Amino acid sequence: MTGDPNQERLAQLLARTALADRAAFEQLYTATRSKLFAVSLRIVRERFLAEEVLQDSFVSIWNHASEYARAKSAPLTWMTAIVRNRSLDVVRRTREEPDIDEALTLALVDEGAAPEREAVARSEAHHVRACLDELEPEQRQSIALAFFHGLSHSELAQHIGRPLGTVKTHIRRGLMRMRDCLARAAVTGE
Amino acid sequence: MTDMRRPNDELAHALAAEYVLGTLRGRARRRFEAMMAQDAPLAETVARWESWITPLGEKAAGVEPPARVWRAIEARISRGSPKRASTGSSLAFWRSWGLVSGGLAAVLLAFFVYLSTGPRGEPVFVAVLTSATSQPMGVVSMHSPNLLRVRVVRNWPSMRDKSLELWVVPEQGEPRSLGLVRNEPGDTLITIVPTDPRVKGAKALAISAEPRGGSPTRAPTGPMLCSGMIAPVRRPADKPI
Repeated sequence: MTGDPNQERLAQLLARTALADRAAFEQLYTATRSKLFAVSLRIVRERFLAEEVLQDSFVSIWNHASEYARAKSAPLTWMTAIVRNRSLDVVRRTREEPDIDEALTLALVDEGAAPEREAVARSEAHHVRACLDELEPEQRQSIALAFFHGLSHSELAQHIGRPLGTVKTHIRRGLMRMRDCLARAAVTGE
Repeated sequence: MTDMRRPNDELAHALAAEYVLGTLRGRARRRFEAMMAQDAPLAETVARWESWITPLGEKAAGVEPPARVWRAIEARISRGSPKRASTGSSLAFWRSWGLVSGGLAAVLLAFFVYLSTGPRGEPVFVAVLTSATSQPMGVVSMHSPNLLRVRVVRNWPSMRDKSLELWVVPEQGEPRSLGLVRNEPGDTLITIVPTDPRVKGAKALAISAEPRGGSPTRAPTGPMLCSGMIAPVRRPADKPI
């Protein structure tokens, strides 16, 4: 658990939600709804679908809040994963031409220029960024597009204008390089 | 286990990463989820990738959803039967609470020291119980081997038909009741045997709102009002806490 007071507050609200505390659940919703709605909207791209995802996700959070204790991740990460998974379930049914926010995709790569306070405090996030920076630009771009916009392999191939096999290889090699880099960072410490 | 064999470490990482990234789709995604549900190390690998990748998006700008979303959520959770903390999940809950309250206990130690100075002398242990908004609500301390002092700092309004119940999370097993606490500023003294298995190795204490007279199920059923980690002040060899 990090010492981040926001995350600690969310963890406490989740703990109370596990005991069916409606007021805590509403506070949890209020504190996270705009971030989580944006996460879903980027992937499903239709507002009505994103609303459906947010609704389903929070009903799921209400029902499964007690399982958070075993998740060992930061509360917002746990909740975001629920929203992302639900969004990816929905987007399968209704994919049209991807509408890409290039600025956001670049931001994943470029954020070292303006480090935010909490990012610096959380060394793991710092390592992840440093390891992303080590990737080849095309690997990084493919990972960012998949992550932010929920693009599938074939949609990525279409968007980047590369063969499907090349895109798959970029992603897999990029992710494995990231893992090796993070493993090294964990060994050498801060 | 379905038709897929357990992947080796390299493949497990590759699949977990693509699952979290979202490029693992359709039937492959479903199949991977089924494997994950039965394979704890694989689920652990997924959790690691989630902790690496998922926070990357946290700084992206938010978008405010319309109010009807919350109304729909409220309607849906009201339709279900009233939720009770089952014994299994309540244990997980208390553990998680104990985990997150550690930092708070340290921060609030000064507050406790102020409150605990009294003729009884230095306590064996203390726990500052805070609300979800980090307000200190009570202090539990043990000043003699068999007496627990529960000091309520401020009372809870609108609790006329409720009782406050104090719970302890032992080293192993379910949360145990230590007794009822008066809902008014001041002390409630609870007699306790130091060798009581309820408090052996205990990590955290909490107060929940229960039906008048206490929980009917011997497990917490009502909303948790405040909780805190137990911080030993001194640790005599013959004291189990």
